[in-house]
Amino acid sequence: MGRLHTEEMILNMGPQHPSTHGVLRLKLITDGEIVSHVEPVIGYLHRSFEKHAENLEYQMVSPFVDRADYIAAMNNGHAYAIAVEKMLGIELPPRVEYIRVIMAEFQRIASHLIAVGTFGLDVGGITPFIYCMRERELILDLFEMASGARLLYNYIWIGGLAHDLPAGWVEKAYEFLDEFDFHVEEYNRILTTNKIFIERTADVGVLPVEVAINYGVTGPNLRGSGIPFDVRKNQPYSFYDRFEWKVPVGEGAMGSVGDSWDRYMVRIEEMLESAKIIRQALDQLPAEGDVKAAIPKKIRPPKGAEIYSRYENPRGELGFYIRSDGTNIPTRVKMRSPAFSNISALNEISQGWMMSDVITILGSLDIVLGEIDR
Amino acid sequence: MIESMANWFLSLTWFPQMELASVKLLSVLLVGAGLFAFIAVNAIVLVYVERKVSAFMQVRLGPMRVGPYGTLQTVADALKLLLKEDIIPTLADSILFRVGPFIILISAIVAFAAIPFSPTVTAADMSIGLYYIVSISSIVVVGIVMSGWASNNKWSLYGAMRSAAQIVSYEIPVGLTLLAVVAMAGSLNMNEIIIAQGGSSNLFHWIPLPLPNWYMFNNPFLFIAFFMYIIGATAEINRTPFDLPESESELVAGFMTEYSGIRWALFFLSEYANFTLVAFLTAVVFMGGWQSPFETIFAAKTSLLVLLALALAWTGYVKTKANRLSIYPLAIIGLSTIAAWLFPGFAIWITEPGLFWIAMKVLSLIFLLMWFRWTFPRLRVDQLMYVSWKVLMPIALFNLIGVATWMWLTGEIQF
Repeated sequence: MGRLHTEEMILNMGPQHPSTHGVLRLKLITDGEIVSHVEPVIGYLHRSFEKHAENLEYQMVSPFVDRADYIAAMNNGHAYAIAVEKMLGIELPPRVEYIRVIMAEFQRIASHLIAVGTFGLDVGGITPFIYCMRERELILDLFEMASGARLLYNYIWIGGLAHDLPAGWVEKAYEFLDEFDFHVEEYNRILTTNKIFIERTADVGVLPVEVAINYGVTGPNLRGSGIPFDVRKNQPYSFYDRFEWKVPVGEGAMGSVGDSWDRYMVRIEEMLESAKIIRQALDQLPAEGDVKAAIPKKIRPPKGAEIYSRYENPRGELGFYIRSDGTNIPTRVKMRSPAFSNISALNEISQGWMMSDVITILGSLDIVLGEIDR
Repeated sequence: MIESMANWFLSLTWFPQMELASVKLLSVLLVGAGLFAFIAVNAIVLVYVERKVSAFMQVRLGPMRVGPYGTLQTVADALKLLLKEDIIPTLADSILFRVGPFIILISAIVAFAAIPFSPTVTAADMSIGLYYIVSISSIVVVGIVMSGWASNNKWSLYGAMRSAAQIVSYEIPVGLTLLAVVAMAGSLNMNEIIIAQGGSSNLFHWIPLPLPNWYMFNNPFLFIAFFMYIIGATAEINRTPFDLPESESELVAGFMTEYSGIRWALFFLSEYANFTLVAFLTAVVFMGGWQSPFETIFAAKTSLLVLLALALAWTGYVKTKANRLSIYPLAIIGLSTIAAWLFPGFAIWITEPGLFWIAMKVLSLIFLLMWFRWTFPRLRVDQLMYVSWKVLMPIALFNLIGVATWMWLTGEIQF
């Protein structure tokens, strides 16, 4: 009898696939269920944000920034505003800074809720996702009250905010925070401590520290590998140095440090830390105050001025490199997107795992295609 | 049932003169049509129930628009699927693609022939009923592999291969656990297995709870076997946490990916038929089938009181823990307790065997399996195989020996 002829199979996962978190195509080389190579093919959501930015005034860029990472629009707007304000050297009223921090942290919770919920979906649990969406709705209600929009807010403007907080907003925010810890406990009961979930995620897709640093992985994924690096702590911007909170890191509680479970757990803990920050910021929020700093109608940073501003987005370090030629239109706006760096490590950490694990690992990296493709 | 039906036809005065064989054939056809109708209606109801159960678990309402409380939603869905275009992919093997769903459906329906619905209603009361069901229902895998291969789609192929591996592996522990029961009952006939579960329990008789003499309470080995059977059966019908063949987040829809319209609906129909079949089989083999759990009227009354106490305790626990009043279990058990103590007719009725009791058992098992589906994540394919071959298999073998030893110790068999 001759030997059975076997060969590896190329499998296209996506761009139409339920678990690629958007229009991502993964070219898998598979040997049965084992995956030997993963090649992410990106660009299906490319909207040439950077080229657009070269033809628009500084203020006109900020709505486009929201659309890059549509899951964390508030954070992106904040990052861009901070970068331009640093170029101009604008001092902001404290009320603005506090509201920005509150919004950014609420957005971080909302984004992590999606990450946690869809990760549950990827592993096969449907109910945790619905629970997460339930709490996210409440946050979106808060955003809607403040900005009028539920997904792309354009709330944080250069030099201030679009509107002041409406009456009753702060009380509603407190209400949410009072309930939130209990809900996180619910997620832990239904998903985090579930035996099957632990079996599926612990020790799967371990991201070693060297690999993470080589690929420029940041955010919860880096912290899941045990490195307590957080731009909010290491290079505090806005008012982040005024609050007490800690940077959660992966400890390998269920398997080894840097596995999918650790990356997931870091997000769960970060939501609680964000809730702490919001509570402190709400306590310290000045009751009265302007929400717009005095800035010129046309923003003209000095000729040749350039800046690279770092920001901690829910997915990692979001950087904006902006260069000015003295006019009110930037010459170059480069966005360092965290998810782009994070997904580049996918091939390295998912080789040799099974097809289901590739989905688990992809889910644990929490990518947003809008931000990768820009 | 076929015999008695044929005789009944012949006893009718207006019935035309026919040979016995023709009348029997007519009866068979009628019974088959009845089973098919039962399965179709059952699937429509169960899809609605599943959507409602999942909705309540996920703090939603579920279907609410079509008919009162959305009760006609699945009827509307079924009509929509019937009217959809029948798409067969150009590169698919069109014969196998067409045949696949029917093989799955037929094996699911035919297996119902040996299911006893009540002491008198069994479509075909054959002496090897259990063996027949187990063997017929394993034909499903042929249909799954057929449709997965014929779709000419890599995802379908993955789903089919996983399914084949999974169903074949889980048949062994499931078969072994059923074998333990067959050893106890000394028969493969479904009705005889049920009759053997009458009377009072021989293990737990010293416990004040008047537990029924179901096989799951009969001895510790069968108690373990019951849970193993539930796990194995969940895997055999491809439901979460073992729903790898159709795992949505991995394989799009597994072997069903390329199907649409009525062919896809056939998969759905057979999935729910198999689901019900497994619930019926569990009820018959481990839970006394159509037997009432209460042996005497006194047992019924006292058991209901105990259940009422449990329901009260549960309501109190939910009230203190989640500050929520769960009224329905308390109301149902409370009303039945009052009825049993006040109306002797009701007390007699609940001690009688019949369709009511098997339906109750089947519905609770179906709810249990739905509960699994909407709370558990999914296992990976190697973990699935691990559970089957390294956990369930050894325990099942050990259990079989244990049951034999138990029978020897209690004097049911002698060497």
